[in-house]
Formats: sequence, structure tokens, C-alpha cells
Amino acid sequence: MWKSIVYKEWIKIRWFLVGFTILGMLGLGYVFLKVQRGFTFNGGTGFWYNILFMGMQFFGYFKYIPLLGGLIIGIAQYFPETVNKRIKLTFHLPLNENKVLLMMHIFGIVSLLASYLLLLLAFISLSSIYFPSQMIIESVISVFPWFLAGFAAYFFVALIVLEPVWMYRFFYALVAGFFVTIYIKSPVIAAYGPAIPGLSLLTILLSVALLFSAYRFRKGEM
Amino acid sequence: MSNVIECNNLTHYYGKKMVYENLNIHVRDGSILGLLGKNGAGKTTTINILNGFLQPRSGECLIYGENSQHLTPATKARIGFLIEGHIQYAFMNIHQIEKFYSGFYANWRPAPYWELMSKLKVSPKQKISTMSCGQRSQVALGLILAQNPDLLILDDFSMGLDPGYRRLFIDYLREYAKSENKTIFTTSHIIQDMERLIDDVLIMDYNRVLAQCPISEFMTSFKRFDFELENDKVNLKKELFVKNLEMVKNKVELYTYESKDFVEKFLENNGIVHKGFKQVKMELEDAFIGLTGKY
Amino acid sequence: MEKLSRFILVIVAILVLSMTLPTLYWMAFEKPIKKPFVMYSCIDDDFFILRAGTPTTFEDKKGNKYTRDQYEQKLPMWNFQQLMVSGKMPDTIKGKAMDMHDIGRNRSFERYKPEDMNCPKSQLFPLFESQSGRASLELPNDYFRITWRMEFIDAGTNKILEEKSQLFSAALYHFGFTFPATRIEGLPTTRKSCDEGYLIVDSADKLFHVKLIKGKPFVKKVNLPEGLKFKHIICVDFKDKRYYAYLFSEKNEIFILTQDEYELIKFPVTEFKAENCELKLYGDLFNYNVTVDSEDHTDVIILDKEYKKVASYQESFPVLSERTEGKIFSYIFPAQLSMEDSNSKYIDFFWKGSGGMGWIILNLLLVALHFALLRRRKAVIKGHVIDLALVAVTGIYGFLAVNLFQNKFFK
Repeated sequence: MWKSIVYKEWIKIRWFLVGFTILGMLGLGYVFLKVQRGFTFNGGTGFWYNILFMGMQFFGYFKYIPLLGGLIIGIAQYFPETVNKRIKLTFHLPLNENKVLLMMHIFGIVSLLASYLLLLLAFISLSSIYFPSQMIIESVISVFPWFLAGFAAYFFVALIVLEPVWMYRFFYALVAGFFVTIYIKSPVIAAYGPAIPGLSLLTILLSVALLFSAYRFRKGEM
Repeated sequence: MSNVIECNNLTHYYGKKMVYENLNIHVRDGSILGLLGKNGAGKTTTINILNGFLQPRSGECLIYGENSQHLTPATKARIGFLIEGHIQYAFMNIHQIEKFYSGFYANWRPAPYWELMSKLKVSPKQKISTMSCGQRSQVALGLILAQNPDLLILDDFSMGLDPGYRRLFIDYLREYAKSENKTIFTTSHIIQDMERLIDDVLIMDYNRVLAQCPISEFMTSFKRFDFELENDKVNLKKELFVKNLEMVKNKVELYTYESKDFVEKFLENNGIVHKGFKQVKMELEDAFIGLTGKY
Repeated sequence: MEKLSRFILVIVAILVLSMTLPTLYWMAFEKPIKKPFVMYSCIDDDFFILRAGTPTTFEDKKGNKYTRDQYEQKLPMWNFQQLMVSGKMPDTIKGKAMDMHDIGRNRSFERYKPEDMNCPKSQLFPLFESQSGRASLELPNDYFRITWRMEFIDAGTNKILEEKSQLFSAALYHFGFTFPATRIEGLPTTRKSCDEGYLIVDSADKLFHVKLIKGKPFVKKVNLPEGLKFKHIICVDFKDKRYYAYLFSEKNEIFILTQDEYELIKFPVTEFKAENCELKLYGDLFNYNVTVDSEDHTDVIILDKEYKKVASYQESFPVLSERTEGKIFSYIFPAQLSMEDSNSKYIDFFWKGSGGMGWIILNLLLVALHFALLRRRKAVIKGHVIDLALVAVTGIYGFLAVNLFQNKFFK
């Protein structure tokens, strides 16, 4: 059954996942093209100085890319389920309704995670050409909440798309919109350090949010 | 014979609007029940409750003895479900969707599915979403046949089918159900040809059940009498035995479960002058319209 | 599971509401509070206060009003440029002849905000050549870090400079430095009069001064009293060259570290808390003016040139929660959450109480209202106990949240 679920979810999201990962890589490529140019024109010492003491986020262009990924994968995976209420087919499969949803969700999470890990790995590898570990760690602390924002966006999309009542979709979107901003606040490098454990926990908790919408759907809210 | 589906005292409202109150439905094992009703009479509501997509205000539906609100996976595997409009995962092609579903059902029988698919003129990689209405319906039906369930719940299966194909399909379905002892619960708002399929009929109108019995019983006991009244001011509608009455000027169509003798006597005893009294033979569709009214 | 998911969503909604609603409230109703600007006159040896507003007023401690012109003449050190232009600068003050260069050289100004301490700190610093023989400082090509040793990394190649690293590590080791460093403070900028290197605290809380002089390491271990630990160090570059830095101890004492003698001198300031007080340190020819600004008061301590206290002034003003808008706030909101805080550059979950208990009334009213709503929906109250408790505790946030993500679970 796992195989079948994975198969269906993969058919839905594969091109979006690949497309997003390519987009993310292109974004990273642009970021490091700028770094390369900065090194060529200002020299390494000046470039480091701007990062260390002038608050420059050389990876600032990357800010919304993980968020975009969460939105894309979430929509690609859950929108086709709600067209003509196809989710009924999913719930009719010989599996517990929550279980089948969570199986789909876990596949989405793993896919998104894989894409993010690739991007993060590429980011760290490219950074290590130009910067020492201290600067890389600080950069990773800065970009980490952006990846969490991507997951939160993915979880909220699932919640909103599966919600059967339009008015509630609107309210949820409002909550989601405000909530996601807490991941992308400060431009100060490494400022998110103290918040990362709490934000990670909240993000993990949000992963089951979609069950609420699904429940409302199954009980015939309209 | 035991009941596969048993709905007891089903009551549902949408907000303050009543759909029905204390509805009781029984579907015998191995029988084919047709739930007939006009649009909005509560057919889809019933289907949704049966499939656990709607919690009724009160009452319950049991399928194989389990409450339809929380069916176990094993029981769900015994139920084939055709969603109104032949909805399927249209982002797949016919190979992908077969591969997907086959992973869920131990009794998966791909042969009837591929037999149906071979008759479709679709390319192997064509997505279901790009197929015609009729082709999509066959994909959806083929999948249910392959699932090989004990109970088929078909919500408006005839929608979008060509008349010829509809008849072919009905004949096939009946043959299949009877030879393999399948139980079918189907709804339709196209009544034509249903007579060929169903064993029992359940006719719903807004807020109530008009008839629930074997179709043969319904077709023999429900009758239509035509006659012309002398005085078109006479009001027969209030009479208890009159289930429905259609009048055009002084021409009357009277629908009742009572016998010809009873009606003739009633007219005589009450001094209602009429002429041309005759019983008219009905098809199921005529009877349905006669019972539910034209509006 | 679906109950858990709803509960999580309710919590998320409460978090979002407790961030947005107070923000909107303050945006709409908060009024600015004007803190007094207090200076010490070397003419009268007394305080003069500027109160910004319409109109801006100038007064002394007793409330006597002065014109702007009079005020400026009372504070010739602060306003000497203006007084020079208008020709009203006295020739001598306290028997001292007034010399432009003298005044300028003795002026110092430093301002501290809690967020200067509560912020992510760089771990890499450029070590300037202190005696390059050039007129201006030049940014080196390498940056140092002090982990298990002191390492210099070339920024162009991202490679460790082994020789320089070993040289400095050995020097630090020789002076008893315990690796790694816990604090490195300096002025990593070329825009300073000269370079004085870095003040570095090691893992044993000892303080070192490290410079690069003519390509060679300069290390000096500073003698600290037993048990003294620093939580913040502000290196300064003043023309009078009297001290290297202001140092805040864990106990919120303010020290200076004198140049050359490396003597720690404590300022007689008691009301300071580095976590939430702003500090203004102004020095001139005659005095040091230490201003501690907290949420509800301004404290001004005047020191002489020997850092002895000569006068002090204190003024209180109502904190936000005592003002009208703050009182109303405390009747509506139990607390507020923010991801940002004015005393920190970090992002964190900053909870702040509303400063009153008035919200309890609203919370109870909302519990009653929610109860009534449940009754109208013919809900079984037993299944809503957690919701009601949430409303009781979180008030308006919980009420909105539980009604947004409605508890419609069936039997």
C-alpha cells in the first residue's frame, strides 16, 4: 500500500519537485555568482568585512525560495485531491482515513526534505569555498528558518486546500499568512539562533494540521 | 437473507432545512436496489452518509454490520464506490491507475478492467483527464469490476452514457451481479432502463420516502387510471387513496395503489360523473413521474 | 488525531493573535513619552533639563524656565561650537582658559543599548597593524578566530595562515590564555584614530589585551579582582586616551580600563542593568556625565575627572502600563507575544505580561459568552472543557482561536 501511495503522490508532484529543485539551484547559482563577483571586485577581505560587520546577507536572494517550494509542492499534491472532491476516493481506499492522509503527507515531507537537503548541501559546499566554518554556521542559522517556513507553508497549504468551507479557508489563510512571517523576520545574520528550537517544534506540530480539515470534510461540513 | 446495508432512523438537516427524518433503508444481500428521486431529493446525501462523508444528524447506517461513519479497512475493501460523474484520479493514465489500485486489493482481478480498456480508443499514455465522458465512465467502472467488491455503491452511474451503451452496461451489470452474488446500491435520476437492472426500488421525494419495495410489486400495485370528468371543479386530490393526480382541463390521470374496482366504486358512490375510465399500463419511468409528480 | 490537530491549530491561532492584536492596538493608541534630556552645568554646578515638545522647554532642577540662549550658555562644554559662533563662549571657566582644542580633545561620547549586548556576535575579526607607520589604518587580508588556538584565515583564499597563527597562539599560550576565547571585543573599523587591538576574555574569564605591533604579537594579561566576570565590553577610541573600554560586569557594575596602566576603575553607578537600560556616557573637560535610561526613570550621575561622584539627579515617569493606553491594554489582553524585542537583536519568543490583572474580567466574560454560544449550538459542554479553560487563560486570543477552529467533534 505504501508503494501505491508513493506512486500516486510521485505522479502528482514529480515535475514540480524537480522544477522547484532546479529553480532553487539556479537561485543558489545566482547567489554565488554575486559572491564571485564581489570577491573579484572588492577582494575577499572587503567582502568578508561586509558580511561580518556591515550586516550583509550575501544569501538574501534565497530568502523566499524554500517558502515557494513548500507552496508549490503543497498545491501540486493536494489541489488535485480536491478537484471534484477526489479526496473521497482516497478516503475510500481500504486504509484508515487519517493513516492514508499521513502516508501522503509523509511522502510530501520527505520529498520536500530531500529537495531542501540538496539545496542546503549545495549552499554549504559553495560557501565553504569562500568562507570559514564560523561564517557558514551563522549563514546556516540564518537560512534554517526559511526552510522551516517552507515546511510550514506546505502544512498550511494542505490544511487550507482540504478545508471544505471557503470562509474558513480564508480565515486559515489569514492565520497562515501571519504565522509564516515569523520565520522570515530579521535581516540580522544568525539572529534566529534562540528561536530555532521553538520554531522547529511548532513546525513539526503543524505537520498534522491537515487532519482537521480532512475530518471536517468527512463529517460533511459545507 | 441478511441485510448488507441497514439504515435506521436516518435524519439529516442542512442547517434548518430538513432532508429527511427517520429514513429506513434495507438492502438485502445479493439484491440490487435503485434509489430513485428527483434532483435534490436527498440521493447524494444518502450516498455520502453511506460512504462516511457526512455525519447524519441522528440515526445510523450499517454496512456489513459496521457503522458507515467508521468503516474498517477490511470492510472498505469489500465496497466498490463509483462517485457521481465517474470521478477518478484523472492525472493518471489507464496503466498508472490500474497499478495504483491493484496495490490495495487482495482480490484484484485486472482482466475485466483490461477487457473494458481494450474497447476504448485511447493511447496508453493518455491521461484520464483528456478522455471523453463515456471513456472516463468506463475507466471508473472497470476499476470497480477489477476491485471485485461484494457491494457496489454506484452514484448516478448512467450519467453521461450513450443510451445504447447504458443499456449494454445495465445488462452486463445485472448479469455480473447475479452470477457472482454481488449486492448493488445505485442511484439514478435517469429512470429509463432501470427496470432491467434493479430488484428493489426506493423512491424518495423531498423530506420523505414515497415507495420502498420490490420493483415487481411496485409495478403491479401502482396503477394509473385515466378518465374525463363532467365537472372539472371536483377535487379528488384530498382523497387518501389518491397518490397523485394530474389534470388538464377535465382530463384526469389518477395514480393509486388501489384496484380498478375500488376507484370505479368510489367515483360511483360519490356521484362523480365521468367517462372514458380506463387503466393505463406504465413503464417504470411513467410510474416514477406519476408518483413524484411532474414538478 | 484530528482532535490533536485541532488543538495544535488553536495554539497556533493563539500565538498569531497574541502577536498581531497587541501590535495593532499599540499602533492605534500608543502615545510617545518624552524623556528629559539632563545635563550638568560647569557654570552653576547644577543640572539643566531640556524637555522636547511643542514648545521645547529649558529649565533647571527647581523648574525655573530659561531661554534657549540662556540654557546653552549654562552648558558651554556641550554647546561650545554654538557659543563660539555667537561669540558667547567665556574666556575662562573655573579658572581654566578655554581652548578649542582642549575642549575637543576632552570630549567623549558613547551610547549603549541593551541590543548591543543581546545580538549575534562575529567570531572573526581583522587584526590591524597598530604601528604601520602609515597615516591611516588599512584592513588586513586576513581575519582571526580563537578556537583551540588563534587562527588567521586569508579572506582571498579561505586558507589558514599557519605561520602567523602559530606565532600568536604561542604568544597567548605563553601568557596563560585558556582556549577558546569566550569574548572578543574591539573596534573592527579603519575609521578610528589609531588601533588598540582587541580585549579578549578566555575560557577562564581572564582578560587579555592583544595587538599586532610591527608584525609581532603584543599580549598583556589584565589583573582582575577575584570572581569578576564581564558580560559586555565596549571598546572606545577617544582623543584623550584615558581608557580603552567600558566594561560591564555580571553584577551590572560599570568599569573602565585605563590605558597603559591597565587599571580597572569602577564607576559609582548603581541603577544600571545592562539587560534593559540604555546608557549614555558623556565626558568633557570638567566632568563625566553618566545617564542611565530605563523604562520608568532617568538617572544622571556626574563624576569628576577622577571618576568620583559629585552630583546626581533622578526623574521618574509612568511606565507604559501605568498610562491610560497601557491600563486599557491590560483590561483587554492578558499578555503579548513578539518575535522581536527592543532590547535584543535576536529573534525569539518574547512574552510580556500586560502589566495589570484587569484582563481577568474580560476572560471570565468571554468564558461565559463561549459557554452561551455552546449552549446555543446545543453542544455537550463536557467535550469543551479544554476550550473553556483555554479561553479562561488566554482570554480574547483563546476565544477567537477556539471559534475559528471550531470544536465540532461528534460522538
